[in-house]
Amino acid sequence: MSHVNAVSFTILVALFVVVALTGFAAARWRRTESLLHLNEWGLGGRGFGTFISWFLLGGDLYTAYTFIAVPALIYGVGAAGFFAVPYTVIVFPIVFVFAPRLWSVSRVHNYVTPADFVRGRYGSRGLALAVACTGILATMPYIALQLVGIQAVLTVMGVGGTTNGFLKDLPLLIAFIVLAGYTYMSGLRAPALTAFIKDVLIYVVVIVAIIYIPTRLGGWGHIFSTAGKHLATTNPKTGKPFGSLITPPAGEWAYATLALGSALALFMYPHAVTGVLAAKRRDVIRRNMALLPAYSLVLGLVALLGYMALATPAVTKAVKASGGNAQLSVPLLFEHMFPSWFAGIGYAAIVIGALVPAAIMSIAAANLFTRNIYKEFFRPDASPAHQTRVAQFVSLIVKAGALFFALTLSKTFSINLQLLGGIWILQTFPAIVAGLYTRWFHRWALLLGWAAAMAYGTIQAYRVPVPGQANSHFGGSTAPVLGHIVYIAIAAFIINLVIAIVLTLVCRAFRLPAGADETQPGHYTADPETGPPAPAPATAGVPTT
Amino acid sequence: MGQPDPPRKHTVTWIAITVLLLASLVGMLWVPFYARATPKLGDFPFFYWYQLIWVPIVAVLSWLAYLLIGRGRPAAPGTAATEATAHTGEGSGEEK
Repeated sequence: MSHVNAVSFTILVALFVVVALTGFAAARWRRTESLLHLNEWGLGGRGFGTFISWFLLGGDLYTAYTFIAVPALIYGVGAAGFFAVPYTVIVFPIVFVFAPRLWSVSRVHNYVTPADFVRGRYGSRGLALAVACTGILATMPYIALQLVGIQAVLTVMGVGGTTNGFLKDLPLLIAFIVLAGYTYMSGLRAPALTAFIKDVLIYVVVIVAIIYIPTRLGGWGHIFSTAGKHLATTNPKTGKPFGSLITPPAGEWAYATLALGSALALFMYPHAVTGVLAAKRRDVIRRNMALLPAYSLVLGLVALLGYMALATPAVTKAVKASGGNAQLSVPLLFEHMFPSWFAGIGYAAIVIGALVPAAIMSIAAANLFTRNIYKEFFRPDASPAHQTRVAQFVSLIVKAGALFFALTLSKTFSINLQLLGGIWILQTFPAIVAGLYTRWFHRWALLLGWAAAMAYGTIQAYRVPVPGQANSHFGGSTAPVLGHIVYIAIAAFIINLVIAIVLTLVCRAFRLPAGADETQPGHYTADPETGPPAPAPATAGVPTT
Repeated sequence: MGQPDPPRKHTVTWIAITVLLLASLVGMLWVPFYARATPKLGDFPFFYWYQLIWVPIVAVLSWLAYLLIGRGRPAAPGTAATEATAHTGEGSGEEK
């Protein structure tokens, strides 16, 4: 993997330049008088209709997780990695139920982040701080996953990865600086606009891959049987088979809880909430929940690329030569199956597919810090322009934090970065989602439930070793609980709920102060007519229909 | 069903949403039901095609629920949404 294919490389660079220019130019798209307001920089003016929202949410939710991490897991362990399909099937019905309420109440009160809502609903700065910190913390490994995805492509292309330390990471750093630059300049407009390019590339590559590669590999029957045989062989590191083509009974609990936990967690992530709040009207959200499964189909098909990689001897050989880095399997598959120009397009699809969500994630985390930590605790009088400047700066810091996760955690299966984030972010579910329906829960009970679950989840995850390495940590996201292997996030979530319920009863029995609630029932179904709440330019006298 | 009065429409909506949610949750989380190789569809083991086929099913169910709820409340009073509901209500039952 030492020589660089000039054709692939040129195409990747060209597409990358197009995306970068689009990202910078996005600052002028749907322009308002000033970008220096969080509604503008951080939410794109809250004016995205069904079409753009679809691309934005798709750009948001389908990431290197889809194109690198899931196929890598399928490549490594087989059926167990397919849980991503049920996950993305059930997530939309779940979100369909509560997201419109979150949108409405946020529109009425001008909330920018989920922590803003928690602050307003429970009158609790502490609980809002907990939600904000969790959001920032959980986003970092998720961004790290995007970096790992980009790195996988660069390694396969022979760019970096072999030479000394600085040169090795230089291409990744360049990509990173460009990403940081246009996010800083254009805010949420940049990923919304670049998401178009991303999705066109992704759809083209996936459709071609799904139709073309099986014909070269002797059909699906051959792919499944070869993959099945390969998975049944013994993994020298663990002394057990690599995996299986069908989930074995012992893996069923893990499979179901991973799907459920991931689905419940997804729309707790600040970047997913950002995508929802940027919608123009309430019905845009529900309509998109019916349209977004188109991406889930892509995810399911991309997952199967893992099996195609297993059925391609040249790929399995190259993965072994790399020291067993399964993240390389999809880029390697492209390298060996496609002519170099199309491989270049495939690489670009993965790289851009990682950059777009990384931008949205860092914006969302920056919004959280600015609104719920900086303004709340340090500078309550910060002007909108000042807040936006802070958010721009923090978006850079968050990316640096992600780099730390990317470089320190085990990369055996990069999906664990996302699953680790899920363990944390799911613990904000009771405060946010229950809060959309009821004020029954007491704020202190929710805070203690959150704290206990965070501690439990982190300790459990810390204790999971990397497969085949004793005394290693954060090597997985499932653990045995009551005789079943389950996703730690779900176990922690149940602890969280039980504590919140019991302590709410206690708090209520002692009549502890419940805190002020600035929302009213009508706010949760409100649908203010179109247009951002920021004062519209005075086109006086023109009646809107 | 000529003009559903508000409370009835509310009930229908909630039944639709509940069915949508429960169907997809049960269908996807009851793993022992589909953790098997047969019956195959083409070369695809049951495990794979069963889960993939749920993607369009959920999309259709969500779209139905969306139409039942009706788009935005006060903006377009009734007509467009209710018509659309009746229309697709016929077609999509046989979609599977």
